[in-house]
Amino acid sequence: MDKILNYIINLIADVGAAICFFFDVLGNIFCGKIRVGAVLKQVYEQGINSVVIIALTSLASGAVLALQGYVAMSRFGAKEYVAHLVALSLVRELGPVFTALIFSGKAGARIAAELGSMNVNNQMLATRTLGIDPIEFLIVPRMLACFIVVPLLAVMAEVIGIAGGYMIGILEAHVEGTFYINQTIKAVTYVDFFSGFIKVIFFGIIIGWICCYQGYNTTGGSLGVGKFTTRAVAYSYIAIILSNAVLTKVILTFWG
Amino acid sequence: MIKISGVSKSFNGQLVLDDISLEVKENEILVILGESGTGKSVLLKNMIGLLKPDEGSIFIDSEDITKLSEKALLKIRKGIGYLFQEGALYDFMNVFENVAFPLKEHTSLKQQEIINKVQAVLKEIDLAGIERKYPSELSGGMKKRVALARAIILGSKILFCDEPTSGLDPIRSRDISDLIKDVSKRMGCSTVVTSHDIKNAFRIADRVALIHKGKIIAVGTPSDLKSSDDKFVREFILC
Ligand SMILES: Nc1ncnc2c1ncn2[C@@H]1O[C@H](COP(=O)(O)OP(=O)(O)OP(=O)(O)O)[C@@H](O)[C@H]1O
Ligand SMILES: [Mg+2]
Repeated sequence: MDKILNYIINLIADVGAAICFFFDVLGNIFCGKIRVGAVLKQVYEQGINSVVIIALTSLASGAVLALQGYVAMSRFGAKEYVAHLVALSLVRELGPVFTALIFSGKAGARIAAELGSMNVNNQMLATRTLGIDPIEFLIVPRMLACFIVVPLLAVMAEVIGIAGGYMIGILEAHVEGTFYINQTIKAVTYVDFFSGFIKVIFFGIIIGWICCYQGYNTTGGSLGVGKFTTRAVAYSYIAIILSNAVLTKVILTFWG
Repeated sequence: MIKISGVSKSFNGQLVLDDISLEVKENEILVILGESGTGKSVLLKNMIGLLKPDEGSIFIDSEDITKLSEKALLKIRKGIGYLFQEGALYDFMNVFENVAFPLKEHTSLKQQEIINKVQAVLKEIDLAGIERKYPSELSGGMKKRVALARAIILGSKILFCDEPTSGLDPIRSRDISDLIKDVSKRMGCSTVVTSHDIKNAFRIADRVALIHKGKIIAVGTPSDLKSSDDKFVREFILC
């Protein structure tokens, strides 16, 4: 009983600390303490880091969606709707979620490990002895970069996924190319796009937050780096999947 | 200039610093000697506010830094050079960028002036020409010297060096000690150096403090300590 109580108290304290950390970062951003050069460097590194794997994944998922969709839709005699199925699934749901999951496994893990090893090598303390706030110097650029890169990657993933579906549509389902493209454009409305895009912005914030927070609080040498990095990725996954469920419900309630 | 009074610090019940009081005057080099693991690094970290003492106060320029917020501390630390025992260079920056970092952050010098200054300092620590190397490509002693360059480049009035000579060969140790002495005398610094290198400690110190089991058991000029008849002091400095 005591153990459970302790666990809950620790959890609440930890969440509280994470929220304080988040507001600390926000405070820096709104005071204009943004190192533009550092942000761009992070955007470049994180983007390059995960662009290939996200492109491959979404190309394959778009193709699989089209293959399965073709089989299923044929049963209802509705195979010309394959384009709709592919585009809507990708834009509303799969693009955002796949991108976020892959990004947190790649760039997120990298952020946590980088910050964590800086922590255990005293570079974080050294920053403070040099009279510089590590939040401003190291955290703000990384979190802002996540906020910028994840939506960009998601849009790219959606486009590539649709291209994957298009390939299958033409080669396997023998749908005509211009027809497929027209169907896709007709299928995706602003509401569809933005109901996915809102999620992706949220995921970008949450991944940056979790991975930076874990890296920033790493202790315990190289073992600690391993522990906190895996924790960063696991927590990101959980947060993405759970918040996706909630967000989907909220967005559907308001937008249908 | 710096005044430590009644500082105690313990970690999970292990008392590391036990009621330490010390004073460092302007234009003075104080060397803190002690066995490995007696709390020299912990004391220095307290003095720059990276750790907060459980009890006692630490005054820097008549301001009690134990009561300051991190934000106020950041401001004070701009006026302090600090050398970590492990160097703690940024491993994503090369040597030039590491040494130039405080200048870029806290001064409005032009790029060319920064380059000149960094090159001058690197020459002083006998490492000219390694600007483009990354810390992972340097030996332990080289890292330490680059870290010292980063600590002294702003010419702060307060300089804390945690074991500047450990891991260096005898000749370099002597040269680095002399450099620290030279820099602090030139700037009129209050300098605190921790060490267990007796020879170089006595070479540069105006005063020496010896820590043993969390307490300061002797303070004085090198010759005071040499003529002490405390058993531990004699054992420590003569062996
Ligand atoms: N963050 C910490 N958590 C727990 N204990 C610590 C911590 N930092 C230091 N200690 C303990 O404090 C004691 C003093 O450590 P410190 O690093 O100050 O020694 P030192 O005098 O600098 O030794 P050395 O000459 O080897 O550098 C050690 O026993 C160490 O175990
Ligand atoms: Mg030490």
